[in-house]
Amino acid sequence: MADIKKYGFVIDPRRCIDCRACLVACRAEWNTPPGQTRIWVHTDGPQGIFPAVTQTWVPVQCHHCEDPWCVDACPTGATFKREDGLVLIDEEACIGCGLCVNACPYQVRFRNEVTGKADKCNACFHRVDRGELPACVATCIGGARLFGDFNDPESPVSRAIKDQVVYRPITPEVDTGPMTYYLSPPDASAVQVSPQPRKDLPAEVFWRKWAIPIVKVAVGATFLGQAGAFILQLLRGENEYEDGAV
Amino acid sequence: MSDQPTERVPRLNRRKFLQAAGLAGTGVAIVGSGVGDIRRAEAGGSVGHLPGSYADKIVPTLCEMCVWRCGVRAKVIDGVIEKLEGNPDHPHSEGYLCARGQAGLMMTYDEDRVLEPLMRVGERGSGRFRKVSWDEALDYVADKMLKIKENFGPEAMVFSSTHNLSQPLFENLLYGYGSPNYGTQRSLCFNAMVTAHLLTYGIEEPARRYEGMNYIILTGRNLFGGISTSETRALMQRIAEGAHVVYLDPRFSETAAKAAEWLPIKPGTDSAFILALIHVMIRDELYDKWFVSQYTVGFDELAEGVQDYTPAWAARITEIPEATIYRIAHEFAENRPNAFAHPGWRTSNFINSFHTERAIAILNALQGLCPQQGDCMFLSEASVELGKPPQPGYPPIRAARLDGVPWKYKFVPPKLGVFQELRDAILSGEPYQAHGWFIARQNPMMSLPERQKTRAAFQKLGLVVVMDIIMNDSAWYADVVLPEASYLERYDPLHPVGRRVFLRQPVIEPRGQSRSALWIYKQLGERLGLGDYFQYEDEEDYLRQQLKPWTERLGITLDQLKQTGYFEVPDGYEGPTYRWDTPSGKVELASETLRNAGYDAIPRWYDPPEPGENEFYLLTGKVGQHTQFATQNNAYLHEVRPTNQLWMHPSKAAERGIANGDRVRVTSPAGSVEIEVWLTEGIRPDCVYLTPGFGHESRGLRKAFGRGAADSDLHLTFTDPISGGQALTQTFVTVEKV
Repeated sequence: MADIKKYGFVIDPRRCIDCRACLVACRAEWNTPPGQTRIWVHTDGPQGIFPAVTQTWVPVQCHHCEDPWCVDACPTGATFKREDGLVLIDEEACIGCGLCVNACPYQVRFRNEVTGKADKCNACFHRVDRGELPACVATCIGGARLFGDFNDPESPVSRAIKDQVVYRPITPEVDTGPMTYYLSPPDASAVQVSPQPRKDLPAEVFWRKWAIPIVKVAVGATFLGQAGAFILQLLRGENEYEDGAV
Repeated sequence: MSDQPTERVPRLNRRKFLQAAGLAGTGVAIVGSGVGDIRRAEAGGSVGHLPGSYADKIVPTLCEMCVWRCGVRAKVIDGVIEKLEGNPDHPHSEGYLCARGQAGLMMTYDEDRVLEPLMRVGERGSGRFRKVSWDEALDYVADKMLKIKENFGPEAMVFSSTHNLSQPLFENLLYGYGSPNYGTQRSLCFNAMVTAHLLTYGIEEPARRYEGMNYIILTGRNLFGGISTSETRALMQRIAEGAHVVYLDPRFSETAAKAAEWLPIKPGTDSAFILALIHVMIRDELYDKWFVSQYTVGFDELAEGVQDYTPAWAARITEIPEATIYRIAHEFAENRPNAFAHPGWRTSNFINSFHTERAIAILNALQGLCPQQGDCMFLSEASVELGKPPQPGYPPIRAARLDGVPWKYKFVPPKLGVFQELRDAILSGEPYQAHGWFIARQNPMMSLPERQKTRAAFQKLGLVVVMDIIMNDSAWYADVVLPEASYLERYDPLHPVGRRVFLRQPVIEPRGQSRSALWIYKQLGERLGLGDYFQYEDEEDYLRQQLKPWTERLGITLDQLKQTGYFEVPDGYEGPTYRWDTPSGKVELASETLRNAGYDAIPRWYDPPEPGENEFYLLTGKVGQHTQFATQNNAYLHEVRPTNQLWMHPSKAAERGIANGDRVRVTSPAGSVEIEVWLTEGIRPDCVYLTPGFGHESRGLRKAFGRGAADSDLHLTFTDPISGGQALTQTFVTVEKV
């Protein structure tokens, strides 16, 4: 039990100075295409009337949800949740269908312009597995981005939230169990902290309850990609039929 | 929850990755992303994408994205720099890098790098050059320089460079050649801070200590926008732990957003605010009487001189309420010894900025922040002494400096100078005409006020040489461009910090024909007959000579240093600790030196000029994503901060029919620019603000060219008579919708 990790983020917007070192570190670590980013620093502001002005910056990344809708939406199983909580993408299995991009209520996913595959923050799991911090966290000058194992009471994230009021980016309609805890209200209007229910919910329910098990039963791993694409097209047709807005 | 097998690892379909990751054979891979980036493309296009933190080797070196010089660990795969990390062994980085530091590899891999020596073939400013060999370029420059010396004397050659580790060799070049004309950018930056602290404490750059500090007054020091990694971190840590920060700035900067109190003070009135704090501390006897009696001179004169500077008086000038000023003076003193006023950094604002800085230096002295010599929080840290190659003395200088140091600016150290005056003297030909300008790692075409004057000054010269890594705006107008290796491709002289000595070393071989400054200066020096000032075989030989005393004492070798990136000397080996180097040997609240020169012995209030009815103060200030005028073409930084906008208060915009995002024309007596406007409540209505560094006119900078506007097109040239600082906030502008 003690060996099982539960990774997640703690974000303290009060300590973010909008220096954007995290954005550049992520870009350098992953070489994401220009104009596409896996993480953000959001602000609404400044707020108020001169001279009573305030401003907060809100660092954002994939929340690595406990109940990730993207995983459920993925027809090929390319998106999966690791035992330690990280939600990752297997590029070889990804067919670039984009369903996970639509499914994520936080819109932290995008289709990589160069690879054509689904892309998002993977918490620099290769660094984490070596005992290092994600690139953004490792270079956060203000100390606003923290990462670690919530199952370890001595980890930076456990210590940061101990006896603190925390804020989670959830709504009464959408609670996917995001593993990001904010130490002050993430009050930017950005979608990455204000989850939106999916518009195409009926079809998604169909996906989750029926289509994905069918895919899994019907398709062997070797032909996963092609078969997934084929079934995807069938189902896309049905989706269009149901709400006409895909 | 997912029902995927728990041991799964994502896959990347690239064999190389598996090898690098040590995962080969486990049948796993990872999601890849962008390829085709310049650094991969130039590495042969075969590497594909690997997460940057995997590395064949990790090379410790030093950052050069600003002058803070953080420690870096550069990660390299197949000879390509993939990622930079902060070095935890270096006290300036503490394991962290800012956005600029993280983006440093894109200086090296900038697609607009100048990789061969270039000589101009078209008109100046036409951007037409031909590639030449190093021999041809250096022979040409040396020949021209020797002719200038022969025909007009060595003083007709001007040299300028920005503070950097190879500066001692640059000085050998200029002083060995025999010119007194040494330009730096300091008068555009911190002349006021340095001269004020020299005249008060006898120290150039006061150290700052944050540990335990509960009350901090920042006079426009925007540490969260103008980032110095370790100091920025220290301030944030204190704020998180509850320290009270009072922040004065007409603009709501990143630091204003984090301060306990943002005081949008009227521009140019900081000294009135500080003088009122001094007034209250003396009147209410809040100062450290023991320290003042033991270690300062001139207290009575100071007490008398600030009698009229009451909070009520300062409130009228600064537009900060009287009660606020009174309260801050008391809180500041009550928190002693855990309260200090930051000495500031870029303090080139108004021609009264020297008085502001003197007042801050004195405020801290009243606070008794130096309980004893050697334990003064404002003392610069002692550093390790190094060896150096033998060299002869410099030839005598036979002419006065063009920038007026010291004949016009008595208190400005020669290594700071008055850069804007130097440019004006080139233009006017007074007191004598300059004929050549050697510019290293500097972009005066952007940094100096009144760009049209700088352009005209270039036209007066028979020789303009620029050494840089990219085709900056000054290089665009040069006759010869010498391609320096980027900081990740070269050695520089060693950098002592406290008891540690750090090494900058090449992470990869220099790209193209680019070379280190150590090599370039030596090559040019030899052609000028100055070989005796460059007695080293190559860069490594220079470093070995620097290391020699420590090789003899402690057995430190260069090979060791290349592995570790630094060495540390034991206690007691560092140089002498600092002593107050003032004429009185004490902290000079009243300065006889200033009095004897005909200036005020104590700081006084001088009314700065104010804008007219329809005019605005034009504010300047830093952003955390760029350094001065050098990084706007960096691909990664361009992405996170591609341009600048004019900050303006909505009330003033409404009067002019200006909406957010409109194009506006900004006009000063110096010139005018067009730019997009950003309306914000975070600025005084009588001010507008423009981030410097944009508005490049070199077409050799393809990302930065034409982005935003340059405040150097608007700034007028005003010089603080004591510190020589350029008054960057003293230009007033009008704004109208285009």
